[in-house]
Amino acid sequence: MKSYFRELSVAGALAILLLVLAIFAPSFYSPQPLLSLSAGAAGSLVVACGMALVIISRQIDISVGSMFAVCSVCAGLLAAMHWPLALVVAASIFIGAIFGAFNGTLVAGLGLPSIVVTLATMVTWREGLRWLRQGEFVNLPEGIQWFGLSQKSGQWALVIGALGILTLLAFMMKHFSIGRFIYAVGSDAEVARLSGIRPKLTTFLIFVLMGALVGLAAIMNIVQSPQVDPQSGTGLELKVIAAVVVGGVAISGGRGNLWGVFAGLLLLACISPALTHLHIEAYWEKAIQGSIILLAVVAEGLRNQKSSNHG
Amino acid sequence: MNTDKRTRKDNLFRHEAILLIVLVAEWIFFRAIGRNFGTYDNSCDILRHSCEIGLLALAMTPIILTGGIDLSVGSLLGLCAILFGKLWRDGHLPIPIAALCAIAAGALAGGLNAALITRLRLPPLIVTLGTFSLFRGLAEAITHGLDTFTNFPNSFLFLGQERWLGIPAQAPLFIAIAIFFWLLVHRTTFGRSFRAIGFAPEGARFAGIPAGRRVAMTYVLAGIVSAIAAIIYTARLGQAKADAGNGYELFAITAVVLGGTSIFGGTGSVHGTLLGVAAIAVLQSGIVHALQPSEMAGMLTGALLILALASSVLPKTISSLRARKSALKLAKQNA
Repeated sequence: MKSYFRELSVAGALAILLLVLAIFAPSFYSPQPLLSLSAGAAGSLVVACGMALVIISRQIDISVGSMFAVCSVCAGLLAAMHWPLALVVAASIFIGAIFGAFNGTLVAGLGLPSIVVTLATMVTWREGLRWLRQGEFVNLPEGIQWFGLSQKSGQWALVIGALGILTLLAFMMKHFSIGRFIYAVGSDAEVARLSGIRPKLTTFLIFVLMGALVGLAAIMNIVQSPQVDPQSGTGLELKVIAAVVVGGVAISGGRGNLWGVFAGLLLLACISPALTHLHIEAYWEKAIQGSIILLAVVAEGLRNQKSSNHG
Repeated sequence: MNTDKRTRKDNLFRHEAILLIVLVAEWIFFRAIGRNFGTYDNSCDILRHSCEIGLLALAMTPIILTGGIDLSVGSLLGLCAILFGKLWRDGHLPIPIAALCAIAAGALAGGLNAALITRLRLPPLIVTLGTFSLFRGLAEAITHGLDTFTNFPNSFLFLGQERWLGIPAQAPLFIAIAIFFWLLVHRTTFGRSFRAIGFAPEGARFAGIPAGRRVAMTYVLAGIVSAIAAIIYTARLGQAKADAGNGYELFAITAVVLGGTSIFGGTGSVHGTLLGVAAIAVLQSGIVHALQPSEMAGMLTGALLILALASSVLPKTISSLRARKSALKLAKQNA
């Protein structure tokens, strides 16, 4: 119980927010807008899951926003060339994995700090995309939007898909050896190495997985509109890192779980619609998000200080 | 010990020498193929446009030396620009007083970062990620996302747009701040302690360095410098908007790392940072004057950063591989 304090407190904060909304703005709970909100957050959830794994292994990836844009545009172009949907999805995931492998090679292979490597790749991919496409939107053909389903079933498909990936990864982190390796590498790479784990290979694979998840999230995003925005994914990296940190993953690695990240993402995603329903000016959204991040880390810091004073 | 110190100094020197060669090569290259590149007017423009990012990079150098990072400087630039405009237009304060208030606000905001990082011992990356959001959010909340402050008096715009004794008017201020940071990092005990803290935080504390206070100082300085950059930015563009300085933090960090400062802290220099800023600024201007798309400059900056990093670790990686190979050979022989 005690070891899940952080996750439970985030869930508690989310519950309070939902309760406040239930009392003061019951209109928040009308099913269709709520479904749209969830479908809109589905892509971010998938990226946040990947980011959680990256941060648990004591790395960081700030190039996800740029990878997201590149994957979206590539998938859009392939769809416009009338590739079948399944192939487009596979291609997007593959392209993401290649970009992830590039980051992984530099970080794990050369031992470069991940924050600088992904800073560099973030700028390079984003500017490269801008250069090649000149900010042009890609029009999607019929049958791509909502996977060719009705809007409602398409949204349900996205939500269920994202939750499925969350469950799968959470199960992997808890019960598969690769999951435990990730915690071990994040806690202490040297000790992990001496226990027979290969930290470099693990780190490399995490970056590849991160890229693949970004490719998938890009697909989950482009099916929601008839066009692909080449600017999509701007600021995505900070949004998901915020969700991961609020969800109780330690930035110093080795600690956290995906259900906390889920609660953190929901909390941050609910703020903007909650402001609208509570008739607060929407301009406060970013300031409130920032305060929530600070509050989460301050709570963690105070708790750590207390426990270190005791022990 | 002695030789170790010398090789480290040599490495640092070599990095900056390479960067200087890159800079000169860029200059000669663009001079040859670009139109009007490298003229006196163009050089002044380069200096003018790199001023704000240069200031942020200067302030970022001591922070990264101590092993920290500050993602909030770009957002703080936006917030200070808004506060400055608001106090001048709606608060009817004279420009110098409004500027002083903005600088005080910057110091306060830097103090918030410093308090959270040193008092509560929170990771700087996360604290400044939070304030990155908070400061930009406050700027948006104050302006409701669309209010823009314009029509500043000409005497103020002089600072950003005119020349003084033949050089851009903001250049003397920039040079003064650059000299201040160089002296602070390279000629005072403060600078020594920044490196010591970045190199080994616990060791620095046991050596009697007031680590918390020194680290706090770097973040407060960054807040003050962000506010100064905000005022210069407002004077250069003639307007203050909530999105001022969006993404500047990443350019500043790029310049610092390109300049040879280790992202883990402990080693680095202010003149390296200045060279890094110059390399990026010349590249950006040169690409435009060579009639190439400006996006290419961004791509090349990213590529340059990866190359700089890879070249700094490649010798080490190769030598460690070689050592492993010879160790394996030795083990085989013994077996």
